[in-house]
Amino acid sequence: MAELIKFSKRQTQSLATAQVEKREQYLAFTLGGETFAMDIRSIREVIQFGGITEVPLMPPFIRGVINLRGSVVPVIDLFVRFGRPACAVAHRTCTVILELAQGDSTAELGVMVDNVSEVLSIAASEVEPAPAFGSDIRAEFIAGVAKVGERFVILLDVNHVLSVDEMAALVG
Amino acid sequence: MDLDQAKQTYIIEARELLDAMEEALLTVEETSDRSEAINAMFRAIHTIKGSAGLFGLDGIVRFAHTVESVLDRVRSQTLELTADLIGLVLGCHDHLALLIAGIQSEADPAPEVVAAGEQFLAQLAPYLGGGLAKAAPAGHASKASVPASGEAPGRDCWHLSLRFGRDVLRNGMDPLSFVRYLATLGEIVHLTSLFGQFPERDAFDPEACQLGQEIELDSPAERATLEDVFEFVRDDSQIRIIPPHAKVDDYIRLIQELPEEDRFLGEILVAGGCLTRRELEEALKLQRSEAGEEGAVPVRRLGAIVIQEHAVPPPVVAAALEKQKTFQDRQAQELRVVKVSAEKLDRLVDLVGELVIAGASAHAKAILAQGGQPHAAALLEATLTVNELVEEIRDNALSLRMVQIGETFNRFRRIVRDVSLELGKAIELEIHGADTELDKTIVEKLADPLMHIVRNAIDHGIEPVEVRRARSKPESGTLSLSARHESGSIIIEVSDDGGGLNKDRILAKAIERGLVKAGASLSDQEIINLIFEPGFSTADAVSNLSGRGVGMDVVRRNIDELRGTIEVETEQGLGTTLRMRLPLTLAIIDGFRVEAAGASYVVPLDVVIECLDLGPFLESEQNHLINLRGEVLPFLRLREVFQIPGEVPARERVVVIQHGELRAGIVVDRLLGEFQTVIKPMGRLFRRAKGIGGSTILGTGEVALILDVAQMVQLATERQVPDRKRTPILA
Amino acid sequence: MLRIVPSTHEEEAACSLEGEFTIYEVAAAKAQLCAALDQASRLQLNLAGLEELDTAGVQLLVWLKQEAHRKGKKLSLFAHSPAVVGVFDLLQVTGRFGDPILIAPPVAPFVA
Repeated sequence: MAELIKFSKRQTQSLATAQVEKREQYLAFTLGGETFAMDIRSIREVIQFGGITEVPLMPPFIRGVINLRGSVVPVIDLFVRFGRPACAVAHRTCTVILELAQGDSTAELGVMVDNVSEVLSIAASEVEPAPAFGSDIRAEFIAGVAKVGERFVILLDVNHVLSVDEMAALVG
Repeated sequence: MDLDQAKQTYIIEARELLDAMEEALLTVEETSDRSEAINAMFRAIHTIKGSAGLFGLDGIVRFAHTVESVLDRVRSQTLELTADLIGLVLGCHDHLALLIAGIQSEADPAPEVVAAGEQFLAQLAPYLGGGLAKAAPAGHASKASVPASGEAPGRDCWHLSLRFGRDVLRNGMDPLSFVRYLATLGEIVHLTSLFGQFPERDAFDPEACQLGQEIELDSPAERATLEDVFEFVRDDSQIRIIPPHAKVDDYIRLIQELPEEDRFLGEILVAGGCLTRRELEEALKLQRSEAGEEGAVPVRRLGAIVIQEHAVPPPVVAAALEKQKTFQDRQAQELRVVKVSAEKLDRLVDLVGELVIAGASAHAKAILAQGGQPHAAALLEATLTVNELVEEIRDNALSLRMVQIGETFNRFRRIVRDVSLELGKAIELEIHGADTELDKTIVEKLADPLMHIVRNAIDHGIEPVEVRRARSKPESGTLSLSARHESGSIIIEVSDDGGGLNKDRILAKAIERGLVKAGASLSDQEIINLIFEPGFSTADAVSNLSGRGVGMDVVRRNIDELRGTIEVETEQGLGTTLRMRLPLTLAIIDGFRVEAAGASYVVPLDVVIECLDLGPFLESEQNHLINLRGEVLPFLRLREVFQIPGEVPARERVVVIQHGELRAGIVVDRLLGEFQTVIKPMGRLFRRAKGIGGSTILGTGEVALILDVAQMVQLATERQVPDRKRTPILA
Repeated sequence: MLRIVPSTHEEEAACSLEGEFTIYEVAAAKAQLCAALDQASRLQLNLAGLEELDTAGVQLLVWLKQEAHRKGKKLSLFAHSPAVVGVFDLLQVTGRFGDPILIAPPVAPFVA
């Protein structure tokens, strides 16, 4: 599995504070034709999708686990997690590895996406709250919507989307 | 020698000695061979005192010395070890534990602690008989015979010549402590302190030690014991010890070696009784005349002159020299043990785990490299050899983590004794399988759940004496802790012969708490298992010791985290047994790989009984039974259990597994063989995963899932009850 | 902690030593006691308030006695507290000072 991009903690922090007006860095990616973005600070690396072992009797958004340098890391299908009906053909090519602090522990998780596109630098002033309608994604999953050029990019609240406690409760 | 580090070691060792002492105190009444236990408690307190002396811990030396004196009288059978005395010494043990804990902070003990200590000493006083005995090492030789006439009267003492180094005080030692400690080894017949010539005001450093001492000590102690006292200062100081009944020239030689003036030293020795005045004068006279002749003072000739001139040298008792024998014998009997830091051990086991995976990977590649490649066969053989060695290392490394559960069980003796006294119940503790070994992490994590269970048994299980009498039961209730290995697991049972669990009360409480709907029909076992539900308690009275009946849900959660199971057996009026089943180790296991519907799974090898081809069913498919050489074996198909779609192959295989007393067959597509595997945690996300007990990384780098054997077996067995409704396999 | 309380009356100086007199205090004590010694031809040290004394403390007192002699002064110790008496006994230095010690009523010895 090739590593496409790797972010070190130090890098992300300096990136975050580099700009004059407080701009946060987000990694943009496409999923099922839509563009989303996640705060870079939680992202450890992006790897090619592959070598996944399925775990039986799991909710469909848990695709399985992979071997990440000796650790067994679960991989989540974001598309399914958003409640979208699973496609017959999945075009996922990348897995984004995240390290999230939840409660008093850190969780390492992978999310499957179609493609990773670019790193966006977005100021707080450019972010609008999520629209009350128009998106069938759960409200708490969305941190906000940003206009980048001509597009609207949905910023994800990663800690909600990937809350281990919530997802674990959905098992069985 | 790093004093701080040594002190830390002392604290750890002192705690172990205290544990040994407590165990001896608690078991002495039960065993037939009381002398063994009495010796053990004496040895423990003797060592604690001795080591405290090395560090100048005067408070501990003083306290321990009195306790030791009392136990010495018990040991020599001049004092009877009554139940009251045992209780008192137990109290002293607790006080010592307090004092030792206080060493860390280096502060003086609080006034309450000091007062408590004085009270204990006062209570011990009546047991001292004539006075404090001089401490004696076990099996000491009797004192030498009366010195022959003409010999200096002090010659039957040890002579210690001490010249402390300049940094002794700065390093935290104090010669005063040594003097105090030596006084506990015997009687200080004579002591002279020497300060030497002090420098001028500006040059004088008050923190530098200039103290020297010449001491006559009447003691049966061995030379090694006395040498040990100065363990921490010997590097910086000059310590010379002359045993009792040494020759005159030994003392003369000492005088010459010491920096002070010969006559000055000679006077000290005369005052101490090592030399008579006459001997000294003669030796010095001869020395002077020799010097006159040759113009120089020969260093060692004085001793030779003395021997030649005296027609009959003072008698040297051979027994005195015997006492100087080395202490090899004593050391040989002690268990050779090495202390290892827990982190280093964990790191080693981690590395061994990685080594197992790497070895499997190398072997896998060697297999692939076969055919046409030169040296392929040799490579394959080499990787096999490596893997065999790795397996041995793995077993050795894992065994390092194993500790005997007896240590944990023994801690409960004290608790059972104290709590049962407080509650007015009579409870006997039985321990079985104390030498059963298990992984140290499991032992640590078991301590809390075990404590909960034992407290429940004492508080609520075993009835008070009157109740037991009324029920025609023996007045003393029995609490039994046992451990044993069984088919790859370790079984730990806590049993009591108390009143058992009241099913009706449990059911009523469960309904009251909304855990169960009124009118629901539950089997007896299901009712009993309600005690594991959160928020459940049936204690009638709040016992001030454990509050409300302690949550069994917490206990079960702890056992779950250890990948174990817990079950309850109870009979009203007769008693209750809690049985915990735990895996032997959390880290590395031997696995058996199987494949079902294209995915591989791992079964722990130690639960696999045999593998075979799947033959014709005994009964209809509904009941899933196999006829295995006359034995009826329930089975389940992995692909069905895991709801993996796909065509069932024509030929299937069965892996027969055993969990506890139950057996079942797991039907799979293919058998892929044995291999070593390192268990990798899957994370909180999979805590409630069904059928899966963990994951592992294969030599190929893939992740394989480990089957939860307990669930599988239970599932297979449950499905055999014909009147149960057909429910989804894993609900 | 060691407190040195001086008082001077013509050629006689007196000091009370109170508190602890151990390795931790001796460096500072040396300076203060020397200063007190320099101020008069006779120095009396009142030891009633000494709660703790270790080898370093004893050593300093022994040195001070020698220093006084060297400078042609006179040093005497009095009102030895029980702690002082105990330590002096253990090290057998009472004779060295030559000061009279009040024999206190016997206390239970722990050993010898």
